[in-house]
Amino acid sequence: MTLEITHVSRSFGGVRAVQDVSLRVRPGQIIGLIGPNGAGKSSMVNLITGVLRLDTGSICVDGRDVSADTIVGVSRAGVSRTFQNVRLLRDSTVLENVALGLTREDRSSTLRCLLGLPSARRELRSIDEQAMRILDQVGMTAYAHHIASALAYGHQRRVEIARAIAVEPKYILLDEPVAGMNDVEAAELGELLKALAAKGIGILLIEHNMAFVHSLCSHIYVLNTGNMLAEGTPAAISAHPAVIAAYLGA
Amino acid sequence: MDLLAAYQPLLDLFLISAGFALSQYVVLRAGVFSIATAGLVSIGSYLAAILMTTYGVSIWLAAPAATLVGLAFGLLLSIPLARLRGPYQAIATLAFVQIMLALALYAEPLTGGAVGINNIPKQVSTLGLLFCVALTLYVLGSINRTRPGRIFDALRQDEGVAGSLGISIAFHHTLAFALSGAIAGLFGALQAGYIYSIVPHQYGFALVAGTLAAVILGGRRSIWGPVVGAAIMTVLPELARPLADNRLLLIGLLLVVMIVFLPQGVVDGLLQLRRRRRGQLEATSKATPTTTGGMRA
Amino acid sequence: MLAQQLFNGLVLGAVYALFALGFNLVFGVHKIMNLAHGAVFMIGAFAGLYGVLGGLPLWLAVLVAALCTGLLSVTIDALAFRPLRTSSEAEFAVLITSIGVDMILVNLALRVSEAHTMRFPFGVVPVEPLLVFGLRITPLQLVILGAALLCGALLAWYLYRTSFGRQVRAVSSNERAAMLLGVEPRAVYFQTFFISGALAGIAGVLIGLAFNSISFSMGEPYLLRGFVVLIVGGLGSLPGAAVAGLALGILQTLTVAYFPSGLTDLIVYSVLFLMLLVRPNGLFGGAIADARMARR
Repeated sequence: MTLEITHVSRSFGGVRAVQDVSLRVRPGQIIGLIGPNGAGKSSMVNLITGVLRLDTGSICVDGRDVSADTIVGVSRAGVSRTFQNVRLLRDSTVLENVALGLTREDRSSTLRCLLGLPSARRELRSIDEQAMRILDQVGMTAYAHHIASALAYGHQRRVEIARAIAVEPKYILLDEPVAGMNDVEAAELGELLKALAAKGIGILLIEHNMAFVHSLCSHIYVLNTGNMLAEGTPAAISAHPAVIAAYLGA
Repeated sequence: MDLLAAYQPLLDLFLISAGFALSQYVVLRAGVFSIATAGLVSIGSYLAAILMTTYGVSIWLAAPAATLVGLAFGLLLSIPLARLRGPYQAIATLAFVQIMLALALYAEPLTGGAVGINNIPKQVSTLGLLFCVALTLYVLGSINRTRPGRIFDALRQDEGVAGSLGISIAFHHTLAFALSGAIAGLFGALQAGYIYSIVPHQYGFALVAGTLAAVILGGRRSIWGPVVGAAIMTVLPELARPLADNRLLLIGLLLVVMIVFLPQGVVDGLLQLRRRRRGQLEATSKATPTTTGGMRA
Repeated sequence: MLAQQLFNGLVLGAVYALFALGFNLVFGVHKIMNLAHGAVFMIGAFAGLYGVLGGLPLWLAVLVAALCTGLLSVTIDALAFRPLRTSSEAEFAVLITSIGVDMILVNLALRVSEAHTMRFPFGVVPVEPLLVFGLRITPLQLVILGAALLCGALLAWYLYRTSFGRQVRAVSSNERAAMLLGVEPRAVYFQTFFISGALAGIAGVLIGLAFNSISFSMGEPYLLRGFVVLIVGGLGSLPGAAVAGLALGILQTLTVAYFPSGLTDLIVYSVLFLMLLVRPNGLFGGAIADARMARR
């Protein structure tokens, strides 16, 4: 049972965005993916989640090859994500945003929905109730009916994570989740991620904030100009000469 | 009673326009930039007109038939349009409208060519129109209160997010097209059964723009948006002669002014105002939001 | 015979190309799809006509018309498009306002012309056809071809040999980066819209001369034909617009000559639809149009 990324490469024109990168996330682990700007981290996220085509290599979710799957397919295989620039539905409420993650649980058929049958409406209400419970997990119930775009950035981040949790994923990819947060907010997010991992979700954390990564991750991968530079425990990585050089030189 | 009789044609015109606007609204709501409604309406109109004049079929059969055919064409359209977004969808659907227009002009033995079809028995009453509009509003309202409504909202705002949550974009776009086609087909048939004669050029650019204007004016989110928009579009030319004479100018001005100053439309704009007032109340009544909102697992 | 039809098609295609070049310039640089382009074209025809009626020689009337439509185009951008630059749904909004502007302009032209179809006075261009290689070539056709070639060459020179043009191309590939490098976006918008409008105006006068009819509704079929050129050639590609414009002119002329009338429109729009189905990028297009849920 792993999220297995094996020998993945992708080029754009002549530029090699990602070159022969392999990494692995197990359920319950928090794995870090770091690297200077332009290292290929965003490309990795897009390759894993179905946005970009793989030139070489494979992505397997618990043994199932999703290398050719679309965004929809990868999501249904159990991989969830957040975005570098928080992507919430701006005109919808916080509750509607989180409930969107639960829509797949709404079993009412399209016909029932067209006819407006009470059962279909009930399903939606139950989805909303579930969404409230998830909002509770991230401490945002007070904002349930606020319009998403009106929220502070840190709060928007929390809502996006709530939405990513809502799909009950096996693995979550978080793309720079604490960017723009202060230490207190980051610490709270850290606690949330530990709790999620404790529940058995595998987390891949793409981040710049070194302290955050070191405090949470059991294993860290370092990318530089598309290649895997190093991997190891936080202690090993912070002492690694090549890693230090890459960050200083970047 | 005389007063009602005087305004009845206006009411009927409004109801038919509302139907067209609702057909246009459905696709825009789902984030599909299709302006094919005029073409789909023409299919419904011509089908009903031919059935009613050549085969003596009553509107009770012609209208459901047109609805089904409209639905089928909506489904068909969704296939090529699945690969396109934004301006490309708009152009493709405009091309579809033009193709239908060209067909209507060319297939003279069937459609009467430029002369169109005349002497269509008038079998559609105000009551019938009211019923159909109510039915359409019910179905679309049901969608808004259930799962597809939420998904349409999401697709309209950020398709990629919906996809990343495992929602099938293609299915819901197809659904929107099918609904749009069905509604257009129905009201096309109703129009044919109301105005005695149809000609190809009433299904061209003017109808596209007028229908679009109604939806932009009224709003693209709430089901009452297109209804209010159609009402305004119907009543405005009646208020003053110059307005009626310069209908195109009016539509054009409305489109520009609305998009720049009130892009959500009248209905959604009012709803948003109400929500904002409520939102502000909520923010001040609860305790000052702290960053330690307490994240638990 | 065939060669004659091909030549006639080429001439018509030259005008289509001029029309499409203007449209594509704005779309390619700013991603704005200006549906009012057809109305600008129509107003160019009127402007040229009034210039000639006012006693100007043809070449001057064409220049004046180009100036008018260039300024009109810039005004449209300032009033209808600029307020929407920062909107979250800019693409959609711009399309809507351009439809609105189109309707306003057409209605104004309708009022002014009182729905009459107008004509250029006889003899503005010498009518005697020349016989070259067995082809009947009228001086007007030469004027059209010449004007189109000149405009094309001037546009190419402007874009690739002047500093203004370089700025335009910079904005086209990345507006924000261009701004950081000191390019003034307003100046670029002014230039692209001006040139686009001027090209449309010239095309309008030429078509008004060629078919000897100018009416308030003449813009719409050209706008629609313009779409065909743009999609087939590739949205945003100038060489594509030129090639596809010529091809469409030839296709149009041949179908009118050899097929029953009324079928022409059907064929042309079906080509458009098919192209969108099969290859939405067009022959030369770079803009990514295929939105199917597939890995990129």
